[in-house]
Amino acid sequence: MSDVTSIINDIKDISTTILKKDITVVKGFSERQVEAIAKQTVIITEGVASGDIDEELKKFFFDGLKAMAENFVNTLKGILSVTLEKLYNAIVDKLWSIVGGVV
Amino acid sequence: MKPILYKKLVPWVLCLALLSLSSCKTQLAPEYDKAIVESLTANTQKLMYFLATIEDEGTTPATYTDRAASYYTLIGAFDALALQAKARPVPDNVATKKINELLQSKGSDPLSSDYPSAFAFTKISETLKKMKETDQKNGIKPFALQAFKGQILIFLDQAITYESFLKR
Repeated sequence: MSDVTSIINDIKDISTTILKKDITVVKGFSERQVEAIAKQTVIITEGVASGDIDEELKKFFFDGLKAMAENFVNTLKGILSVTLEKLYNAIVDKLWSIVGGVV
Repeated sequence: MKPILYKKLVPWVLCLALLSLSSCKTQLAPEYDKAIVESLTANTQKLMYFLATIEDEGTTPATYTDRAASYYTLIGAFDALALQAKARPVPDNVATKKINELLQSKGSDPLSSDYPSAFAFTKISETLKKMKETDQKNGIKPFALQAFKGQILIFLDQAITYESFLKR
C-alpha cells in the first residue's frame, strides 16, 4: 500500500519529467523567436534608412512585428496549456492507479 | 439499508465510481492533427524552395510573371491550412473555463480564442499577398526581401512549434 511520502515523491517525479522535457522545447523556441524578432527589427530599420522599404511597407512590417510578438506570447500560452494538460492527466492517472490498486 | 440490498448496490456504486474516476482526464488544447502537420511540412518545403529561388538582390516587375503561379499556389495552401487549423473543435470543459476566467481577470485573452498556428498561417498568407503585390508593382528591393522572408520564417516557426507540441 502506498504511503503519503511515496505518493508525494511519485507526483514530484512525474511533474519533473514532464516539465524538464517541455521547458527544453519552450526555451529553444523562445530563444529562436526573440533573436529572430530582434533581427527583423534591425532589417526593417536598415531598410527604411536605405529607402528599400517605403512608407506603405514600413507600416506593413511594423504591424507584422506587433502581430508576431503577440502570437509569440499566444504560442507560449498554447504550449503551456498542453503542459498543464499533460501534468494534470499524468497526476490523475497516478492517483487513479493508487486508488484502483486498493479497489 | 437491508444487508441484501446493500450487497447488490455496492458493486454498481463501485463500478460507477471507477467509471467517473476514469473519465477525470481533461483536455486543454486541441487534438494533434496529422493531416495538418503533413500539409504544413509539404508546404513549408515548397515555400522555402520558392524563397530560395529569389536572389538576394531582389526582384523587378519585368520578371514577376515567372513567380506569379508560385505566389498563388502558396497563398492558397496557407489559407487552406488556416481553415483546417481553425476548424478543430475548441476544448470546452470545466478546467478550460476556470483557466480562461483566471486569465480574463488578469486582463489576458482566453487560452483558445484563436489557435496560434491558425493565426500564423493567416499571417503567412497575408505576407505572401503583400510580397506578390509589391513584386508586381515595383519589384522587391533587397532589405524589403529580407524583411518579407524574416516575417514568414518567424510565423512558420510559431506554427510548426505549436502544431508539433500538440502531439502529446
